[in-house]
Amino acid sequence: MSIMEYNGGSVVAMVGKDCVAIASDLRLGNQALGISSNFQKIFPVTDRIYVGLPGLATDLSTLRERFRFRVNMYTIKEEREIEPETFARLVSSTLYEHRFGPYFIEPVIAGLSKTPSGGVEPFIAATDLIGCLNFAKDFVVAGTASAKIFGVAEGLWEPNLEPEDLFETISQTLMNAVDRDAFSGWGCMVHVITKDRVITRTLKARMD
Amino acid sequence: MDHFPTNWGRPRNDYQDAYGTYPIHQRPRNPSTDAFSDAVKRTQQPIVTGTSVLGIKYKDGIMLAADNLASYGSLARFKDIQRLHAAGESTVIAASGDMSDFQYIQQLLEELMIEEFTEQDGHALGPAEIHEYLSQVLYARRSKINPLWNSLIVGGFKDGKKFLSYVDLLGTTYSASTIATGYGAYIAQPLLRKAVEGYEDVLTEEQALKIMEDNLRVLFYRDARSLNKFQIATITADGVRISEARQLDTSWSFAEGIRGYGAQTQ
Amino acid sequence: MLDMHSVPQQQPQGRQFNPYTENGGTILAIAGADFSVIAGDTRQSEGYSIQTRYAPKVFRLTDKAVLAVNGFAADGNMFVKKVRQRLEWYRHAHAKDMPIRAIARLIQTMLYARRFFPYYVYNILGGIEEDGTGAVYSFDPVGSYERETCRAAGAAQSLVQPFLDNQIYFKNQTPAAGTSFPSHLPLSTVLSLVIDSFTSATERHIEVGDGLEMYVVLARESTALQGVEGIGGVQEITMTEEGHRVFVIRRELKKD
Repeated sequence: MSIMEYNGGSVVAMVGKDCVAIASDLRLGNQALGISSNFQKIFPVTDRIYVGLPGLATDLSTLRERFRFRVNMYTIKEEREIEPETFARLVSSTLYEHRFGPYFIEPVIAGLSKTPSGGVEPFIAATDLIGCLNFAKDFVVAGTASAKIFGVAEGLWEPNLEPEDLFETISQTLMNAVDRDAFSGWGCMVHVITKDRVITRTLKARMD
Repeated sequence: MDHFPTNWGRPRNDYQDAYGTYPIHQRPRNPSTDAFSDAVKRTQQPIVTGTSVLGIKYKDGIMLAADNLASYGSLARFKDIQRLHAAGESTVIAASGDMSDFQYIQQLLEELMIEEFTEQDGHALGPAEIHEYLSQVLYARRSKINPLWNSLIVGGFKDGKKFLSYVDLLGTTYSASTIATGYGAYIAQPLLRKAVEGYEDVLTEEQALKIMEDNLRVLFYRDARSLNKFQIATITADGVRISEARQLDTSWSFAEGIRGYGAQTQ
Repeated sequence: MLDMHSVPQQQPQGRQFNPYTENGGTILAIAGADFSVIAGDTRQSEGYSIQTRYAPKVFRLTDKAVLAVNGFAADGNMFVKKVRQRLEWYRHAHAKDMPIRAIARLIQTMLYARRFFPYYVYNILGGIEEDGTGAVYSFDPVGSYERETCRAAGAAQSLVQPFLDNQIYFKNQTPAAGTSFPSHLPLSTVLSLVIDSFTSATERHIEVGDGLEMYVVLARESTALQGVEGIGGVQEITMTEEGHRVFVIRRELKKD
């Protein structure tokens, strides 16, 4: 069995109109055995950047701390907050440092970057476990339900969704996908990042 | 499709012998689970093989092409083998894969055609019937785990209709306006599609012949199990025509400039 | 030195003739109140090679039953051939078409008969039940089957099925207060969902594309056809006067 499916879990991020959303399931498993239904996989990096870390749970803890350390070092050195794209590059190079003995995590990044005119621009990206970046204009997925999320997202997503519509789209996408995945589910959590606030909701989902 | 006939129908196994490099006589035997299995011999691997065959539709009908080589592993063993077989008045079979299995198929078809002829019922087997027959034979043999190790193209022209279909050792069938087997599926098929698709009713025989020769030439340059001697079959309203063996004109002047390829000057 | 006697005889290596292959593609069927839609793409592939852009996977069996087969194409074609032969025998014996419920059981029996050398094929049977309702039966390769409202199978099953759960069964949706979700959707909605499913699958799965064939089986008295005038290329292929009506709709899908 693949190590990528050892603990299970899935993450998806989507672009909306001046907003982005990132969502994950809440399951932690030991292969087919469910261990926890409140296992957080998405973490704030800055006020405007969130990262989702599906994959091997032990590497999740390690990577989360590693990213926290590196982002703090960046903030101190640069005396400014890291931009989403810069963070994506940081994630990529961190993973590629371990090219031949990788962390078994496929990070998903969602954030709002600042434009020169003072506005915000949605940013999403995902990488594979050795840091190959994928900057998508619509949505990115990762985890054990990735194929299923792709299928539903391709059917439901449309450009320029307002925050509430984006929330509904990403929620429906994730929930219906994880309901068909044995290794994901047991609750979902969604973050919608807008210019002036982050809306975080825990979804009432199937728990079987 | 795998371009090494020796690997056809086998599970893909890149761990051992990724490039099919075993000389045939050293190739590991399959285990016999049956105490009496020595009495039964099955084609578990092809021995004397033909490489790619090509088939296209053109204005007047169907054109098939095959070179004249039958290889024994990497040895170019027989250089005057005909791999195009006329079956009746309106059909030609082009065969790649095991040549002994192909000759057995020719025998089957001869018997079938005689049987049908003696009926004298005013019906002749056309390309569709022959293709159906072959697909049933090949599928039945694969179902006995005793395959006829071939990829065949059936081309024909009957009642004003072009017919071009494929059948292989698994019984897999399909039709298309261009078909290529073996290495040709990778090298020739894209070129054939570009040259033929959309022009099936426009291409003249000369143009079709040029397309075939160009593709056989590319295959000869890149497929080590191919030969620059080939035959062309056309099936049109006028019936079946299989050409004499012809030579491909090839150019190797480019090799001069490549170290280790052309003659060495230093 | 290498002791020749301790070296086991050259081990048989795992290179045996494999009688199966996978030919890609996806199929899908959705049942309505008095109709059924059975669809499949028309690409046939092996590995990374497209063998042909038009190889049908959906077949009309009778005027009330359509069968979609997906998996190993040679097995699929042979299986359809054998099912049709059994249906013809039935017609000769009973002077009528076999009911879809009976076809479903027949298919189970035929698949299970090959339990130890299976047809490597996923079957979806769609049509009209004897009571006039739309029916979909889905099978695994060895004959397990059930009647459902919708089912996707094949290469892009994992992409399409959760989308259908959401859009057909309204999974994870709550109806507005005082309302409820319909148990069957109108034909126009079903056709749109089928088209969307296949365009989505084509976008994200390399083995899906080229063409789409949608068969519609309509109960004779059905009025479901009203409201789908907008969809072009509808072709009626009904065989008999008294049976139900069968239509086929062909569409292009992306070819890359």
